Amino acid sequence: MTMNPNQDTPKETSGKTEAGRRRKDSGVVLMDHEYDGIQEFDQRLPNWWLITLYGAIVFAVGYWFFYFQSNVGESDVEKLDRQLAVIQEKNLEATLAMLDNDNLWEMSEDPAMVAAGRETYTAVCVACHGAELEGGVGFNLADAEWVHPQDAIGVYKVIEEGIAGSGMAAWGGVLGPKRVAEVTAYVLSYHEPDAIP
Amino acid sequence: MAPRPPPLQPNRDSVTTIAEDGSRNFLRPADVSGPFTFWRRVSALFLIAVYIALPWIPINGAPAVFLDVASRRFHFFGFTLATEDLWFLFFGLTGLGFLLFFVTAVFGRLWCGWACPQTIFLEHVFRRVERLFEGPAAQQKALDRQDWNAEKVLRRGGKHLVFVLIAAVIAHIFLSYFISVDALFAWLGEGPGAHPRAFVFMLVMTVILYFNFSWFREQLCLIICPYGRLQSALIDDDSIIIGYDENRGEPRGKASDPDAGDCVACNRCVEVCPTGIDIRQGLQMECIGCANCIDACDAIMKKLKREPGLIRYDSLQGLAGRKRRILRPRLFLYLFLMLLGAGAMAYSATKIQPVSMTLSRMTGAPFFVDEDTVRNQLQIRLINKRSEPIALDIRAHATEENGIPLETSGYDQTLLLEPLAETRRPFVVRIPREAYAGSFQLTVHAEADDGALDVVRTIDFLGPDPRLLREDWEARQ
Repeated sequence: MTMNPNQDTPKETSGKTEAGRRRKDSGVVLMDHEYDGIQEFDQRLPNWWLITLYGAIVFAVGYWFFYFQSNVGESDVEKLDRQLAVIQEKNLEATLAMLDNDNLWEMSEDPAMVAAGRETYTAVCVACHGAELEGGVGFNLADAEWVHPQDAIGVYKVIEEGIAGSGMAAWGGVLGPKRVAEVTAYVLSYHEPDAIP
Repeated sequence: MAPRPPPLQPNRDSVTTIAEDGSRNFLRPADVSGPFTFWRRVSALFLIAVYIALPWIPINGAPAVFLDVASRRFHFFGFTLATEDLWFLFFGLTGLGFLLFFVTAVFGRLWCGWACPQTIFLEHVFRRVERLFEGPAAQQKALDRQDWNAEKVLRRGGKHLVFVLIAAVIAHIFLSYFISVDALFAWLGEGPGAHPRAFVFMLVMTVILYFNFSWFREQLCLIICPYGRLQSALIDDDSIIIGYDENRGEPRGKASDPDAGDCVACNRCVEVCPTGIDIRQGLQMECIGCANCIDACDAIMKKLKREPGLIRYDSLQGLAGRKRRILRPRLFLYLFLMLLGAGAMAYSATKIQPVSMTLSRMTGAPFFVDEDTVRNQLQIRLINKRSEPIALDIRAHATEENGIPLETSGYDQTLLLEPLAETRRPFVVRIPREAYAGSFQLTVHAEADDGALDVVRTIDFLGPDPRLLREDWEARQ
């Protein structure tokens, strides 16, 4: 059929090697099993391939030991928890530093704080409390009547934790202590310090 | 000096580049010249120029291709995609996949030989440098066998030094696709300490590229590349491949032998092959379609004053002397599927809005009943995906035009959204108690003030059982 000496020809396999295996003219060994005329070569995989395979096995053992057995390696969850703890600690510190009536009143006289508070207010609070704090869905924040908070810290806490059952949501998690304090300062800037403690 | 190894004798049962003991048989392909080599070099240099130039060309304020991972914006030739828009690339990639099928079915491994970065950088950059330091193939082989001396250290060391430098340059260009050229030069000035992650990325890239192009080479095409492995499924007897005209060439013999075919068994086609096969053994998986053997054989044929094309681009049918056929059903199928993907991508591209809006309910109760109103507190998250500021008006409508008077607050004024900015604000919707007759669909529009844009989202307006509301109302009358 073909005249090409390099093409496979049926009679190419020659001689038996050990255990019934046959060595082809190309030097490649054929394994002795045969299924529906399909035979299997017995050839060595490239060394670089074997090195990557064995390397991956060694790596997997090392990885398993480092992260799951030795308690040396930190898992992603542990890393996240650790970093969250740092953030929470910082937030707590900041909150504690601000949770002081005098502090909050002082902030309400700081133009930078109040301006920052106004920015957050006009984005978030304005929907219910109105552009001039005149109220609407939510209470009027500019008049002398206070429904929930009793003092400056109370204003902070209402913003941070919300009022369950009313429409007032807890904004502490969304805004963080700094922005809650700024909004508190902005609201308080509409009042005199002697109006509430 | 180590003994001279026997000339390559590729066979179809094993891979030439892998020795019987599993070690690497490192190829030293001979130089070749001819029209295919020339045009391959021209196209390779052009493609390298494109690769280098793309991050430098500004289109609409961003580089032509800029995969801005840090701010999750992907710029393609003036078109900006946000991460949340990437779904539509599914159709594009599917279409591209079938385009590859189509090209392969018609032209075989045109991509591998002419356009693949692996081939382009290896054949037209790294092997050129190797040639410069170590000379042509015979000298390279001699250097391989030679014992280490000052000359070998200098030639080898110089070559590897330049290899590392080129790998570093390619890695830096690659990095610039992700951080832009401006940032690349700024970061280079600031030193590795300022951007350790980018530096490590660049370093790892450089090492991988250096390893690949200095040692790994054709192993990637033979063993790792899935496209090469797919060939047997993608081509048929009518695909254009590089093949040897057996009818004309066999039996091989001396040029002076009148009974012999045209092949003079000079072995040039084997010597120039970058993957170490003998093309005369027929179509093989290792062939990357580089056409080196065509130029090599044609040069010999020319010297012998015989027709060129003993090895040529042709289909298996054509090589066997049968009728060639280009049009066949699978081409139309691939073409159809490709156009389907491209069409779906083009259609979905028109659906991509420059603003992303998410409408959700605020935490807490789903609705509130006041003295006079039923209230839903919603939250709107808006993202400007473009590099220009955008002014938006937010309006709510009751979907079924049922005449419910809506009162909204939270977005009373036009909202100016800075480029790439995100905002999340409450949106409070109230309706009079007497107007509430059960939950209904609320449609919220974010409209650009120039009318060019209208993003629409719907949500259910919820309330209590209307009967309870009515009883309460009647009781109060």
